[in-house]
Amino acid sequence: MAATNAVAVAAEWLPLGNRYYRKPTLYTMKWKHIDLSRNKLACAPFGGPIAIIRDDSKIVQLYAESALRKLRIFNSAGVQVSESVWRNPGGRLVGFSWADDQTLICIVQDGTIYRYDQRAEIVGPGASLGRECFESSVVECVFWGNGVVCVNERLELFCVTDFERLGRDEGAVVKLPDVGLDEMPHCVAVIEPRFTESESVVVLLGVGDGLVVIEDGEVHRVGEGIGPVQKMVVSRDGKMLAAFTHDGRLLILSTQDFSRIIFEHECESALPPEQLAWCGMDTVLLYWDEVLLMVGPLGEPINYYYDEPIFLISECDGVRILSNTSMEFLQRVPDSTEVIFRIGSTEPPALLIDALDHFDKRSAKADENLRELRRRKALPEAIEACVDAAGYEFDISRQRTLLRAASYGQAFCSNVPRDRFQEMCKTLRILNAVRSPDVGIPLSIQQYKVLTAPVLISRLINANHHLLALRLSEYLGLNQELVVMHWACSKITASLAIPDPALLDILLEKLKLSKSISYAAVAEHADKSGRRKLAAMLIEHEPRSSKQVPLLLSIGEEDIALTKAIESGDTDLVYMVLFHIWHKRPYLEFLGTLHARPLAQDLLIAYAQCYKHDFLKQIFTTTGQSEEVAFVLWKESWELSKNPMASKGAPLHTPRLKLVEDARKLFAESKEHNFESKAAEEHAKLLRFQHELEVKTKQAIFVDSSISDTIRTCIVIGNHKDALRVKTEFKVSEKRWYWLKVFALATIGDWNGLEKFSKEKRPPIGYKPFVEACIEHDEKNEALKYIPKLSNPREKAEAYARIGMANEAAEAASQAKDSELLGRLRMSFSQNAAASSIFDALRDKLGVS
Amino acid sequence: MAHIPNLDNAAINLTSLREQSQRELITILRNIRGKKCLVIDPKLGGSISLIVPTSILKENGAELRYLSSDPLQTECNKVVFLVRNRLDLMKHISSNIQDDIQKGLQREYFVYFVPRRSVACEKILDEEKVHHLLTIGEFPLYMVPLDEDILSFELDDAYKEYLVEGDSSLLWHIAKAIHKLESSFGVIPNVRAKGKGSLRVADILNRMQAEEPVSTPHAGIPEIQTLILLDREVDMVTPMLSQLTYEGLLDEILHVNNGAVELNASIMGVQQEGKKVKVPLNSSDKLFKEIRDLNFEVVVQVLRQKATSMKQDYSDITKSQTVSELKDFVKKLNTLPEITRHINLAQHLSEFTSKPSFLGQLDMEHTIVESESYDLCFEYIEEMIHKQEPFLGVLRLLVLFSVTNLGLPKRQFDYLRREILHSYGFEHVVTMTNLERAGLFRKQELKSNWLTIKRAMRLVVEDNNTANPSDISYVFSGYAPLSVRLIQQAIRSGWRPVEDILRLLPGSHSDTKRGGFSCGISSESLFGGSTNADKLVDGRRSLVLVVFIGGVTFAEISALRFLCAQEGMAYDIIIATTKVVSGDTLLDTFVEKLS
Repeated sequence: MAATNAVAVAAEWLPLGNRYYRKPTLYTMKWKHIDLSRNKLACAPFGGPIAIIRDDSKIVQLYAESALRKLRIFNSAGVQVSESVWRNPGGRLVGFSWADDQTLICIVQDGTIYRYDQRAEIVGPGASLGRECFESSVVECVFWGNGVVCVNERLELFCVTDFERLGRDEGAVVKLPDVGLDEMPHCVAVIEPRFTESESVVVLLGVGDGLVVIEDGEVHRVGEGIGPVQKMVVSRDGKMLAAFTHDGRLLILSTQDFSRIIFEHECESALPPEQLAWCGMDTVLLYWDEVLLMVGPLGEPINYYYDEPIFLISECDGVRILSNTSMEFLQRVPDSTEVIFRIGSTEPPALLIDALDHFDKRSAKADENLRELRRRKALPEAIEACVDAAGYEFDISRQRTLLRAASYGQAFCSNVPRDRFQEMCKTLRILNAVRSPDVGIPLSIQQYKVLTAPVLISRLINANHHLLALRLSEYLGLNQELVVMHWACSKITASLAIPDPALLDILLEKLKLSKSISYAAVAEHADKSGRRKLAAMLIEHEPRSSKQVPLLLSIGEEDIALTKAIESGDTDLVYMVLFHIWHKRPYLEFLGTLHARPLAQDLLIAYAQCYKHDFLKQIFTTTGQSEEVAFVLWKESWELSKNPMASKGAPLHTPRLKLVEDARKLFAESKEHNFESKAAEEHAKLLRFQHELEVKTKQAIFVDSSISDTIRTCIVIGNHKDALRVKTEFKVSEKRWYWLKVFALATIGDWNGLEKFSKEKRPPIGYKPFVEACIEHDEKNEALKYIPKLSNPREKAEAYARIGMANEAAEAASQAKDSELLGRLRMSFSQNAAASSIFDALRDKLGVS
Repeated sequence: MAHIPNLDNAAINLTSLREQSQRELITILRNIRGKKCLVIDPKLGGSISLIVPTSILKENGAELRYLSSDPLQTECNKVVFLVRNRLDLMKHISSNIQDDIQKGLQREYFVYFVPRRSVACEKILDEEKVHHLLTIGEFPLYMVPLDEDILSFELDDAYKEYLVEGDSSLLWHIAKAIHKLESSFGVIPNVRAKGKGSLRVADILNRMQAEEPVSTPHAGIPEIQTLILLDREVDMVTPMLSQLTYEGLLDEILHVNNGAVELNASIMGVQQEGKKVKVPLNSSDKLFKEIRDLNFEVVVQVLRQKATSMKQDYSDITKSQTVSELKDFVKKLNTLPEITRHINLAQHLSEFTSKPSFLGQLDMEHTIVESESYDLCFEYIEEMIHKQEPFLGVLRLLVLFSVTNLGLPKRQFDYLRREILHSYGFEHVVTMTNLERAGLFRKQELKSNWLTIKRAMRLVVEDNNTANPSDISYVFSGYAPLSVRLIQQAIRSGWRPVEDILRLLPGSHSDTKRGGFSCGISSESLFGGSTNADKLVDGRRSLVLVVFIGGVTFAEISALRFLCAQEGMAYDIIIATTKVVSGDTLLDTFVEKLS
């Protein structure tokens, strides 16, 4: 059986030189009545969608169909995804192609570019190739991944390197340098920017009997004499060019050096093929009516015959062949597959497959095979080959056979990495899922690896296969958020008829799936789709205030935005809302909004305090906080004093005084600010007084000092009369007066004056200030005049101690009967043994009594 | 300079935290090619010097300047402003740029906001018509490790702005910083908060967790088990008292700034007239680590002992023969510079502590805390004002007096305010209003409950042995900081046993448990009661993060360290604070300055 099985597999292969090729059928097309020959086609690589539109350059008979042309989009299995009527003005459709992000780029004669998504709906801003193309029609365009090169009737060339930039960016369309053509080039090809040294696109034109190369703004003629090139195509890696000449030769040229012909093949037909395509890196396909010729570097070319029109779709590892009825995949038979299924193969993996076959049939030969494999120590290698080969299969039962063989082998072999097997199963599951005709993405394993899982998922999303995309993300441990988000947005777009609350419920149910979902982003989409109410409901669910608040502002929900910002505790967000609504609302309404929101109001005030003083006063006036206005005015009065110009002029009319007066009046408006009002009154009075003093003494030493300082200054400069005036004027208490005068006299060392002052009358707070002032100025003898007059023995003791008179201190302390005091004094006399003993003795006495 | 503290012994990996900030800053500099002038906000200078040595900034092509309104003097044509996101700094930036424009200088300007961009700041730059000239970025520095167990958010004025102006930006900043810590060390399961600001921080923190959940990479075991949030308004008494620990006194007298004090070289025994020296103070200095938390009285003794033993060793060395004995001696000699340094500092400090005015002040502080004689206290403060003693010192006693009495009767309140305005100037009407709004100096409305609090929390401890203390009260020679007493409770048994007392203090309190995903809801079963949660299964000490909103004093830090070092205490404490403060620096933010 195994042998026949292998034979059956290998029977499908055709050899080309030393390699085999096969073309398994991927799908029998689900579509009906599609005749490729009547239509223009655009097929996306990586198993992408197929766009079909009736070819308006051909005369075709209409059957039971509308005369209007339809753009129809199918998946690779021929299941229709969408369609729309083509009504675009601008002349014939010159060319169309799928860009990398699977938007369909359509270019019409007048240079207009239409972009369609997979739902056959126009997307993005309208764009044009420019005036030159509008005036003289586009006649040819050659696409690559994300760009196109066009030729117009005037034989000018234009290039778009990134479709994303179209319509947004002036420089998206670049006019290429003039080549000086006098007729249409025979053919055009491009080398993608990512394969060129200059990293800009290289355009190849078949002109005369050679080629013209346009690269980086320069034009060269190359390959003169290779013969007029009728058709050409660049290999997938940009390194080689396949060119078909007028005399029926297929040339393979190096794109580094066009004069170097790597390979040449004489074809039977001198007529250029309808289609020319690379299959992998080493063979070229040429298609004429009914014949597909595959030319390789070695051996005789293979001829495939078709009785219906076909369309070649180049992939990185082969070519997909689309016909009216089926889709095939032409590829080189992978190494591992070849080793297993080659007729008569006795390589280890073939033996392993055979062993499994015998095992299934309960034949002892299974054991024999295994022994042989172990003897050759080839089991791991065999397992690996089976796993590898399974990956290349499109047929599920064959995948299973190969994997079972691998698994069977693993049972006898402990040192093969198991994760390789698991990984392959996982990959195959994914591939089989997306290959199913409903999804219709016939990716080979190599294509899948090049495309990567995240891109596959985003393509599924774009094709509206959200559930599968979600499952895949989950299965692969990728972020599901993207899928859910896209689903939600598509749902909103597609659910115009569903009322907001119902739609919200539907959305929330799914949005809950992902923890970090951005409700704000979905809400933004809802808002853009004209569903502001739904947007507002969605934002409610956004936990991130930093996302929620700006969005609420953008949909005009300013009050809610302010509330949310305040709740978040993020003062920056509060400011954001404040500045947003500040100038949008009438002033009073604006302040009204803030009224019940102390944080917002406080922040506005903090800002105004720092930056807009006048506005600050305005706020307080409006909110009726006249005392706050008073404080602002009062503070300004000091700021004025920093300005030297302000203090000049008549004292009563200085702007400072006016500010203080104004502040006083405002304070006086309410009883609660009686204290401040009085203080302001006194301040104004003091300023006048100080000004007067400065005029009188011709010294600028008074303004902005306190009342106490003014008194001191007066005394220090010997102006006792004015000192006394200040005292009476400001009702300075006797207590304070004594301290101030004593300290001032001590400062100037007027000890006689001090003594005289002490004798004026009995000081109301005793002689303590006199003693302190003297001690502080180290005037021991002066101090001794007053210490005996101290009434408090404790103070007396301390005073004596401070001037170092231990005996007197001890005596006074014993009068105070304070043992703690004695202890402290003893400490301060600790250097003095005699004094210490006196304190000890006294303390003992106290301790006993 | 080796001012950057060594963090190797920290209970959590603070080094990686610092290195991250370092990397971020260096990346900012590297991304701006070539030579550039780095204009630093002066208040940020200290924080930055605790993260990156200046030499590294220079290596990355930065020429350093401090931001001011004066024209910028530099040859570089790339200017990088590194500023806190404060409104008042924006005018400096715009005036710097406008000055360049007037001079016809064309420069490239970058503004990096710390810790993040701010709409309001950018609005000002926009109105000043310079915004379009700037490339704007962020340097997300939310906190700086000051030492192995101290993190600072370096928010100087923010607490005053919160209490007085209602700008609660600091609460978001603190929550964000904690959230950042959680993203490295796991979600903290127990959160205990007391005070208005604390509750709001806990609330914002929960919001942040809901908005951007911290994914715990440590398989669910968070490195920090408990978060205690304490609003300074809960205990304004402690910072008003004179700190008596070595480090506390250094701060009171010399002002410790970013882990260093700056003083006259002559104090340190260097004979150079007028020259200033910077002395770093952190755990990297072994001797300092040993004595920083001790009561200053004891420090003097310890230093004397060390000096004496050194002297003894020196006399012994003449007799000793063996090389190993010599080696030991030389080893000891290596500690000599440290001993000398601290003897010099202690000498300087004791000049202050032995002054009668200092002793009188201490005496008065105790009298007020004991609520002994109202009139005596009142007269003492009145006299201070009359003598025009240093303003901050007066305010400290005044605030202490007002807070313990829940305000002063209106007549006396007005009288003292008037005497202050008369003595210190009318501009202080703003200072008075600030203090009143912050509740620090105000009219009495309710009867004081200070005595109840004092008694219930055992704040005044009579017998205390400062040399060999058994209670945290040693830090103030007989007064146990209320804040630390509360934390002691919160760690040990949660708030419940002291709820009655908590109600007497400002602001409400909360005790919540948070899981990795759900938060806010208390679920006792999850951790099976608070006491068990504090003890970890593997015998590791459990870790408590104590956050002070509004600042913490060195004395309180010492008290917390003392708690950790007690036998039977199964936890380590990391302290985070808006700023390390003393009574002076805290109150200074409330004082109106006529610049």
